[in-house]
Amino acid sequence: MRTRQTRNGGAIVLVALCAGVVLAGVGGALLSLLVASSPSGSCGSASAGPAAAIVLGPPGTGARVGATEYGGPGDPSSGDVGASGINLLAHPDSYAELGGYTFQSATSMGGLAYMTPLRVTWADHSAIAYKRDFGFGGPPVAGLPRVIDLWWEFASRLGIPYERGLWSGPVRIERPPGTGASSLLGQAPTGSADAASCPAGNVAGLPLTPGPRATLLSNGVAAAPAGAPAAVKGMIAAGNAIAGKPYVYGGGHGLPLSEIAPSYDCSSSVDHLLYGGGLLPAGADDTSGTLESFGQPGPGRWVTIYASYGHVFMYVAGLRWDTWNAAGAGDGTTGIGWHPLVRSSAGFVARHPVGL
Amino acid sequence: MRAISVVACAALVAGCSALSTPTTPSKVARAQARHEYPAPPPPAATITGGGAPGAVAAIRTFAEIYINWNASTVARRMLALAAGSVGQARSVVALAASETAGDYELRRGGIANSGAVEAVAPLPGRGNEYIVVTRERTTATNSSAYEGLAPAWHVTLASAREVAPGVWAVSGWQPES
Repeated sequence: MRTRQTRNGGAIVLVALCAGVVLAGVGGALLSLLVASSPSGSCGSASAGPAAAIVLGPPGTGARVGATEYGGPGDPSSGDVGASGINLLAHPDSYAELGGYTFQSATSMGGLAYMTPLRVTWADHSAIAYKRDFGFGGPPVAGLPRVIDLWWEFASRLGIPYERGLWSGPVRIERPPGTGASSLLGQAPTGSADAASCPAGNVAGLPLTPGPRATLLSNGVAAAPAGAPAAVKGMIAAGNAIAGKPYVYGGGHGLPLSEIAPSYDCSSSVDHLLYGGGLLPAGADDTSGTLESFGQPGPGRWVTIYASYGHVFMYVAGLRWDTWNAAGAGDGTTGIGWHPLVRSSAGFVARHPVGL
Repeated sequence: MRAISVVACAALVAGCSALSTPTTPSKVARAQARHEYPAPPPPAATITGGGAPGAVAAIRTFAEIYINWNASTVARRMLALAAGSVGQARSVVALAASETAGDYELRRGGIANSGAVEAVAPLPGRGNEYIVVTRERTTATNSSAYEGLAPAWHVTLASAREVAPGVWAVSGWQPES
């Protein structure tokens, strides 16, 4: 089995490997660097193994990471055969996940499954590559964790100049949306195919209702549609957990989304629901302004976020989550929670999570 | 001179090899040469037949309609499936029909799905339950989200019921991927 080294910027690593004695120390230091420089947009770093630097979230929540290239005529040490035994020249759309000496230990992106597709964007070029290899990795690239090694032919397709396996730089990586009829129709199991996705909220005890819309119960919590995707149920459960909390401007920000804050404002409460649906990592701290670019534009099938610079609210399975009774009388309490009426969305940007 | 030596050596080696090497080396010899032990033969396949032909045909037809549509036809096709199916399968596609009828995301993106049914195989010992394997591609005319994605295999658990003598309808449809 081949355990190719990432050469660019990795001279220290190579020396350490040759010396053998210092391997553990250098490797540990590098892995520490990787872990320490986990970027925003990830789903946390602790659970995916000792070499983890990032864990990719669901589609629409990509991350900017450090990348290198390998292979090609100027990098004969990498050869043409991937660690799985396939000829990479026959599969030029390949990448390697970095972080270890085996497929099991190279988990700098959370341990993606073999053949996991990723959309990789460099400059204004974007293309899909599939995981077919692994590599040890090296120190951060431009301050970003070095997590991915691009097969030279794929790098070339992105317009990255070939530097004989020595190129390194930041790229954006993102899971593509699910494909196939069952995924598009919302009927495929959510999250079952990839353990590295963000954790969905706890839906134990969540009231359910028939039909496609959530309903507001008399005690202020919402009943989720029985047939809704798990992410939607997770969002509703997360909303129920904080409904009625006092509104405080700036409240909830700065705390992990996995915790219940004593108070929330509009954006921190929306963040909390998105976390409950497995759509944001626990460390995210989006504001109403940054939510203007969340996911994809337009209304979604299950979830639509209406964001502006100064406020954000959302609809989950047809029920509005807001921090005030903007629709007037009959629109529920003035506090944070579910509101039964539709309010004006003038001046807001509509966004939705990919696939929802 | 060098060429002659090479030819002579080659002939000698070839001759020795022909005389001394068994035509079928033992498993142990092969293992020693390759540094691995031969794996035992796999157990006999447990295929128990192709299932009821009517059920297989009904599931195949259902699957072909389920996976081949575009944003403007999906609701109609799901409704057609609902009309010809029973039980849980009917509920699944009826829900899909209602949700896709006014789906902004599908229409705005110009999303379409297409594919082929690769296999419909009965699950041994599970009555009229079948595993359905499809290979599908998703495209979009107004979105780059699906660009470059290769066709992928998907698996669904399906079941069929004989609703009248010789007439089968899909009664269960549970996508697994």
